[in-house]
Amino acid sequence: MTGRDPIIVVRDLHVYFYTHAGIVRAVDGISFTVYRGETFCLVGETGCGKSVTAKALARIVPPPGKIVKGEIIFYPEPGKPIDVTKLGEKELERIRGRLIAYVFQDPSAALDPLYTVGYQLAETVKHHGIVKSFKEGFQLAAKLFRKVLMPDADERVKAYPHELSGGMKQRSVIAISLSTEPKLLIADEPTTALDVTVQAQVMDVLKRLKEEKNLTLILITHNMGLVAEMCDRVAVMYAGKIVEEAPVDELFKQPLHPYTKMLLQAVPDPSRRVERLESIPGSVPNPLNLPPGCRFHPRCPHALKRCREEEPPEVYVSPSHRVVCWLYAGGRRG
Amino acid sequence: MADLKKFLVRRLITFIPTLIGATFLVFLVAVVVPADPARLWAGGEKADPRVVELLRKEYHLDEPIWVQYYYFMVNLITNRMVSPVTHENVWSTILERLPVTLQLALFSFTLVVAVGVPLGIIAALKRDTIVDYLIRAFAAIGMSMPIFWFAYILIFVFYTNLGWTTLAGNPTPAKTITGLPILDAILLGDWRTVCQIVERFWLPSLVLAWPSIGFVARLVRNSFLDAMSADFVEYIIARGLPKTTLYKHVLRNALVPVVTVLGLIFGGLLAGAPITETIFALPGIGMLMIQSIQNYDYLTLIGGVFFIGLIYLTINLVVDILYAIIDPRIRY
Repeated sequence: MTGRDPIIVVRDLHVYFYTHAGIVRAVDGISFTVYRGETFCLVGETGCGKSVTAKALARIVPPPGKIVKGEIIFYPEPGKPIDVTKLGEKELERIRGRLIAYVFQDPSAALDPLYTVGYQLAETVKHHGIVKSFKEGFQLAAKLFRKVLMPDADERVKAYPHELSGGMKQRSVIAISLSTEPKLLIADEPTTALDVTVQAQVMDVLKRLKEEKNLTLILITHNMGLVAEMCDRVAVMYAGKIVEEAPVDELFKQPLHPYTKMLLQAVPDPSRRVERLESIPGSVPNPLNLPPGCRFHPRCPHALKRCREEEPPEVYVSPSHRVVCWLYAGGRRG
Repeated sequence: MADLKKFLVRRLITFIPTLIGATFLVFLVAVVVPADPARLWAGGEKADPRVVELLRKEYHLDEPIWVQYYYFMVNLITNRMVSPVTHENVWSTILERLPVTLQLALFSFTLVVAVGVPLGIIAALKRDTIVDYLIRAFAAIGMSMPIFWFAYILIFVFYTNLGWTTLAGNPTPAKTITGLPILDAILLGDWRTVCQIVERFWLPSLVLAWPSIGFVARLVRNSFLDAMSADFVEYIIARGLPKTTLYKHVLRNALVPVVTVLGLIFGGLLAGAPITETIFALPGIGMLMIQSIQNYDYLTLIGGVFFIGLIYLTINLVVDILYAIIDPRIRY
């Protein structure tokens, strides 16, 4: 991990979806900093706002979603801040793909079925001015496909998405996303749609390329195993808020927030035989109708009276470990 | 493309049974009508028995249906079939009528594509705004408007009141090159005739195209929106690609259902438009077939059916080939 050179700073970000049923507060006041060269993880259950947060970073939240408040300060180079929330469409197009790239969950859906994967890489690099012609783009595609360990890379450049397996499709998506040599890669559950055996291969490729290109990686996942293997720092999200953030070792050794504890208990430990896996009772609250006070209180075994009424404060138990919970308020710990 | 070649061969083989099936069905319907065609053709009640007998022999009317059908098809294909009603060669009659129908179909099809497709795209881009609602209302009205009524309203407005169109004649240039008057006139640089043809054909073409315009607009709107909501759109935006690239991908994805329907519409237009041709007194294939039915000239009628079948099958073939070009997932 490199020093304290931030690549992206998010402050008090709010992303709301204006639907017919009402306002969905998908992301409701979150702040975090990602440092250059590290792997930062966003974890949480489905529907907690991880993906929306990720999409907000390059302003690709689909309508009716809107960033209503907050700042996203992106540092393509150290000391050169850009506020992403204040950019126009044209400037955003220069950042998207070129500086901030994405890998999405389902590679089958992310690729246009009517064009070869090589073409889709070539059009990307051609548009961003990395090559001058489609021919060079295809040559670059073959080279990058070899880098992501695509079997028969030279042939696969000419393949249509439906002719590739899930793992190969995700490899080509990774190759396309990294073809522009971005500074920041946001991988939104990159292995969820893949077979377990293929998942490890794809993550290996990502990990290797990240180190090789000195990328910063934001990994979104609900797989705690992946978090332990890949990440430097972790933020746990629940119902549109970050409830805990810590370096990965600390989080696994000393989880503080009841939700984090329960998430970790839900992960099977292969060294111990268990009759039944723990699960977290209840489900993520309906974002249209969030509970008052702490959003986790209906599912929390330690809920106090206060948790039902007042929003919990942010408590720094150490400079790198924060938790948003009443249990730690008042300096009882850390 | 080896798959495509195989597909073409297979497709051409199915061509023939389909044509036989279609023509045989119509033949059956025509023949089972309880009338004596030979007597009708010879002049009705007062017909000369010798002529009736001759006609029976000539068209094998005493023989079983399939034998009649066999002789009919052989004569038709070898171009020896002469209609006992018009005393003309059946193929020649059809080919003579073809330019009018073809011209009407081309004008209408141009209108359908040039108006229907952009309207659909605009409606999709302006989704759920007043523009979208207006276009959708227009499409619904267009599709449900009876053309025989609509045609007379338009005639009243544009012919009777404004005089912007003519309702008689079939303008042709002095020389024939391709046989299609509008094309010949353009090739000859005969702009006066071009104007005359446009003046004569624009209104019937509009009437004929009207329901299809609405249909195509709705279809384009929906398939465009479907394509816009696909996940690859998000990935294109996430890669910072410009709007032009985005629309290129979306349009191609939206095209498959549109091409099918446009193919069928063009086939339908070429098959003749009996109502429109009758209202506007255009001597095309649709009108020919109606006349044949009225005169009990089922030989010309089946010739027409054969011709339409041929066109439909050819267009379907072209559509299938276009599919394979647009969508690489489609291989036969």
